[in-house]
Amino acid sequence: MLEPELEIHPKEKILRKKKNQEKIDLVKAILLDIFFVFYSILVLQRAIYFKVILDLRELPFAWSEIVLILFISAIIGTIWGYSRTSLGTKIMGLSRETKFAKLSAEIFAWTLFNLTFIAGWLVTKISLIDLFSSEGIEGANRIFHALFTPEFGIFDDALFAIIETIYLALIATLLSIPPTLVLSFLTARNLMKDNVIAFSIYYILRIVLNFVRSIEPLIWAIIFSVWVGIGPYAGMIALLVHTIAANAKLYSEAIESIEEGPVDAIEATGANKLQVIWYAVVPQIVLPFLSFTIYRWDINVRMATVIGLVGGGGIGTMLMQYQGLAQWHEVGLIVIMIAIVVWIMDYISAKIREAIY
Amino acid sequence: MMSSNVLVEVNDLHKVYPSGTHALKGVSLNVYEGEFLVVIGLSGSGKTTLLKCINRLEEPTAGTVKFLGKDITHIKGKELREVRTQIGMVFQQFNLIKRMNVLNNVLAGKLGYMKTLPSILGNFPPQCIEEAMKNLDIVGIREYAYERADKLSGGQQQRVAIARSLMQSPKLLLADEPVASLDPATSNSIMQYFEKVNKELGVTVVCNLHFLSLVRRYASRVIALKSGEIVFEGLPHEIDEAWFKKIYGEEAEEVEIR
Ligand SMILES: Nc1ncnc2c1ncn2[C@@H]1O[C@H](COP(=O)(O)OP(=O)(O)OP(=O)(O)O)[C@@H](O)[C@H]1O
Ligand SMILES: [Mg+2]
Repeated sequence: MLEPELEIHPKEKILRKKKNQEKIDLVKAILLDIFFVFYSILVLQRAIYFKVILDLRELPFAWSEIVLILFISAIIGTIWGYSRTSLGTKIMGLSRETKFAKLSAEIFAWTLFNLTFIAGWLVTKISLIDLFSSEGIEGANRIFHALFTPEFGIFDDALFAIIETIYLALIATLLSIPPTLVLSFLTARNLMKDNVIAFSIYYILRIVLNFVRSIEPLIWAIIFSVWVGIGPYAGMIALLVHTIAANAKLYSEAIESIEEGPVDAIEATGANKLQVIWYAVVPQIVLPFLSFTIYRWDINVRMATVIGLVGGGGIGTMLMQYQGLAQWHEVGLIVIMIAIVVWIMDYISAKIREAIY
Repeated sequence: MMSSNVLVEVNDLHKVYPSGTHALKGVSLNVYEGEFLVVIGLSGSGKTTLLKCINRLEEPTAGTVKFLGKDITHIKGKELREVRTQIGMVFQQFNLIKRMNVLNNVLAGKLGYMKTLPSILGNFPPQCIEEAMKNLDIVGIREYAYERADKLSGGQQQRVAIARSLMQSPKLLLADEPVASLDPATSNSIMQYFEKVNKELGVTVVCNLHFLSLVRRYASRVIALKSGEIVFEGLPHEIDEAWFKKIYGEEAEEVEIR
């Protein structure tokens, strides 16, 4: 019944596919070129001409101008790309083998890089004057001086706060394990490609996890401190959420890179899906999972400190309070304690990870 | 001692991989009960694909595979797992669970007969463990039962794999180049275990092999594949110089291994 389809010569099929692919690639290359040209004209005009040459404070903005630039870029990009001497065609592997094509792509790439660097410089308002002004140096001096003459009067409170931070990180890491395990199996491609339902679950979960992961723990902490109130609980949930999303990705990648042989062997005995996972998959991923989790605890201690700054509790919150009151000697003690704890955590987690491998 | 009972019936089998590779192009063959069928052919000729279509690790694209008269070409789920329990498979890379001990690796051969929960808890009934020990005896490595599988040598690992497949009490044993990563002496001893399983336990064997000397010594019948098609079917001693060149190409020369 499938005979006729098999009759199409595979080589013919591949050839046709290749030609189609080339057309699509050329379109992509031209779009890239248009974007590159558009980008460089914009940077040239707005950052360099307006800002440096005319030294304008407020940059004028008009949609008609943007559209005009886009139009010009479209023309240049299309011609350039179609001649196959452009950067876009080079990137897509379609450019001619001539010297001119090579040179034109390389010079343009360099120009783009330099324009970007200059624009970046202007945007961040890099100023050596600020860095070395006497006023600035005085401020820095004050802080450094305070850091080296810490106020030990708040040691008890700081110790308590930093323990809170460590526990917060630990609880977030531990609570993340069960959901992460479940999610990692559901987002491992090699386990979920069997049928449409499994694949849709895989796909949807991937999107959700990517989204959650792309939001920094700091932002999650802000969200949850509004949701459940400022304090360690909000910080813990923020870390938990981000840990689940981040580790589910690492775990599922570990699952995807297992040896397929044992899976075949266990499947061949007539074992069902759960048995295959338990016997052929799990033994191969236990170590990487443990290692990721311990490493994550270490990361979470550092993150918990930062999260404290926005009200996630623990040592970070305390740091924020004393900094707000400009009590630099207290801040000094807290900073030193954080450094020591982070260093110890780093050391311990590295040692544990070494030991299990 | 070849009986005429057909165990596996493959009819006009095609396999096209998603990548577009046409690995099997209309293969038809019978596997008879009790025989030691050897499949030979160059790398990429489709030997592994053929075996995997028989125990359905791969699903054929067209054609049919029958096992004990039942069409298994497209069966799924429980039905497929039941068929698989009757077909053992041994691989070139042994494919043991490295971090488990030998006994548990062998017990894994019983998974198809077990309920999910007890098997995951490692709750194998005593008679299973007895049977596992007996199978380790058959391949002569009982004393390694509690060693970790990856501590064993290649030859020993392959014996564990054979013991694992024997746990299935298989009617058919598929072996995909089982000695290709072993030295000549070990290869011969492993092949002798297959012979023992075939002759003494009466398990039908289909085995992919590379070396003709092993083929002549152990096969009761030979099939040669070339780019997905059967080009030879006959007795081992019928493969003469001319056939050899036809199967392996003009430049090929036979290498001896004893
Ligand atoms: N999972 C797969 N996906 C795509 N193509 C495959 C897959 N497995 C095998 N092939 C291709 O199918 C063809 C036949 O492969 P097969 O493994 O059956 O050959 P073989 O005779 O076992 O070779 P070898 O002696 O190297 O093991 C090869 O061209 C191979 O590249
Ligand atoms: Mg093979």
